[in-house]
Amino acid sequence: MNVLEIQGLTKKFGDFLAVDNMNLKVREGEIFGFLGANGAGKSTTINMISSLLRITKGEIRLLGKDIAKHNRFAKMNIGIVPQDLAIYEEMTAYENVHFFAGLYGLRGAELKERTFEALEFVGLAERAKEYPKNFSGGMKRRLNIACAIAHKPKLIIMDEPTVGIDPQSRNYILNSVKKLNQMGCTIIYTSHYMEEVEEICTRIAIVDHGKIIAEGTKEQLKSTITDTKDIRIGYKSDQPVNLKPIRLIQGVERVMAQDQMLLIHSKAEVNNLNAIIQQLIQDEVEIRSLDEQAPNLETVFLTLTGRNLRD
Amino acid sequence: MNILQIARKELLIHLRDKRTFIFMIAFPLVLILILGTALTNAFSSNLAVGDMNLLYKDNIRNGQLASSWGQFVQASQQEGITFTKAAADEDGLKTVQDDQYTAYAELSDDGIKYYGSPKNAIENNIIQGMLTVYADKFNLAAAAFKADPSPSSVANITVASGSFGNFIQETSLNKDKQPGSIDYYAISMTTMIAFYACLPASALIQNERTRRTAIRLGASPVSKIEIFTGKVLATTIVNFLCIAIVVLFSRLAFKAEWGSHYISIALVLLTEVVLAVSFGLACSYLFNGGAARAFIFIVIQVISFVGGAYFPIDITSGVVHQISQLSPLRWANQGLTQIIYSDQASAAIPVIVLNVGLSAALLIVSGLYMRKREGL
Repeated sequence: MNVLEIQGLTKKFGDFLAVDNMNLKVREGEIFGFLGANGAGKSTTINMISSLLRITKGEIRLLGKDIAKHNRFAKMNIGIVPQDLAIYEEMTAYENVHFFAGLYGLRGAELKERTFEALEFVGLAERAKEYPKNFSGGMKRRLNIACAIAHKPKLIIMDEPTVGIDPQSRNYILNSVKKLNQMGCTIIYTSHYMEEVEEICTRIAIVDHGKIIAEGTKEQLKSTITDTKDIRIGYKSDQPVNLKPIRLIQGVERVMAQDQMLLIHSKAEVNNLNAIIQQLIQDEVEIRSLDEQAPNLETVFLTLTGRNLRD
Repeated sequence: MNILQIARKELLIHLRDKRTFIFMIAFPLVLILILGTALTNAFSSNLAVGDMNLLYKDNIRNGQLASSWGQFVQASQQEGITFTKAAADEDGLKTVQDDQYTAYAELSDDGIKYYGSPKNAIENNIIQGMLTVYADKFNLAAAAFKADPSPSSVANITVASGSFGNFIQETSLNKDKQPGSIDYYAISMTTMIAFYACLPASALIQNERTRRTAIRLGASPVSKIEIFTGKVLATTIVNFLCIAIVVLFSRLAFKAEWGSHYISIALVLLTEVVLAVSFGLACSYLFNGGAARAFIFIVIQVISFVGGAYFPIDITSGVVHQISQLSPLRWANQGLTQIIYSDQASAAIPVIVLNVGLSAALLIVSGLYMRKREGL
């Protein structure tokens, strides 16, 4: 069963086409990765699913119902975890969750119970009476999630829920996402961290210029680009490496230098490793490590969009 | 029910914000105290009259005139004027110059020569006025006697010329109730601070956008109108509460006069707060970001000034007068003054009608803009 179906979805801001005739299906029980560089149309799509923006053309169906006609039903069944923290600093953790859950029609004992459940789920039950200003970044992110799940939505949209937090909190959140999924929630997950997407998402869609340009499991996506390879060369050099001659080597498509590591994206059928090494030795670059890899999601994204996910 | 949820949340946030209470309560109370104390004299209609001492030299030979003067002296002494007869060799003018007496008069059958001290202008003018009245009365009686010397007429004239007293009779409108400086500033500062409610109101929706909570509110099954109504309701309650505290405190601590028509006063202030909140909200939709706040701040300063918040404005013509008539503070101040000092509870009605009418118009404008806008 499809939890979400998007057909011919279009959004225009004046003359600017932000979302262009998009079609997408999210099945029940999926953790659906929704990837796109900044300005690709990802947030606009999410905002239309959440009824924050009006649809210019097309249709969004949630659990089989058109959200334009059944707006309240749609809102009751969606939980949103915004990219930016959306909590009140003047209210305690408990009051924040209690307030937002109360907007979904929960009252009395049930509201109290759901509030505690949500806080417990994100590990903040013991700090329920504290104000968010006393929380770490990770705890605030967890509270941000608690505010979205207390009303037990069928679909949870998580827009970069791990941005700017420590690895421990990130792991906690990723485990929470998995747990929510096991509990029956369907999740749409966006992130700039490709390894997160690889770890938790069952299916992925890549959006670029307002259109879905690729969709499938991570294996399906990787298999679309069998003609390329990634070469990683660790080096030690006080001077910046001259990338120009490497780019001119046959088969090399892209070269990046980052943290004493050269990332070379090349055609798979061309054996150019020797030429690359010779060029580096000639430039007096001390090679420390060398690794040739099959394409990962990052490569897939780069190949399909021509941009890095963090661009 | 969602309206109450939103209102409850707003109340919680407002009540935990210490700045609200400092600004909405402490600020007006301090201003009432400072302005009310500093400008006490500007509001006082009483004049202090010092001792009135008249030194006179009596050269009267005419018996009737002497008798009449005697009666005048007797009557005037009851009014608080001291009459001292000068010794034959006493230099009356010098005693006045030396400030020993308020004035010096030389009486003779031909009239009164009067020398007043410029140092005591008020007392001097009073004595001079009384002597003028005395002289006029005596001359009138003498002229009437010449025209009709019959015994009945003489008797009437004698009674008339000899009846002195009530030289100055004071008649004033509302002589029992006039606002003192504390009373004036209690009203003007309260209405001014009530209008300041437009500042937090202008940030009601903007704050949700800044905090990013607008996304959650927009995605929740709560309509924009419910969010809007809940927020207006809570802001009105908080600000009215602050105003009520200012009124109570000024009455109890500063003994400011607030009359006895509490309901009328409460309705005027409540509708003024509603007007301020509506104005603030409308500005937040009409102007972007900080521009709304800047515009509101300018408007508040202008309407406070022309509305008589800082000092009474008595200009009755010209541009300033025209502008002052548009100030909601002026309507409120005038209405409250009438309610308190003229005992006219009905003076609240035009103010309430104006406030409610304008509020409705501003809320409709805000509502239309809100509907047009995507998201909150």
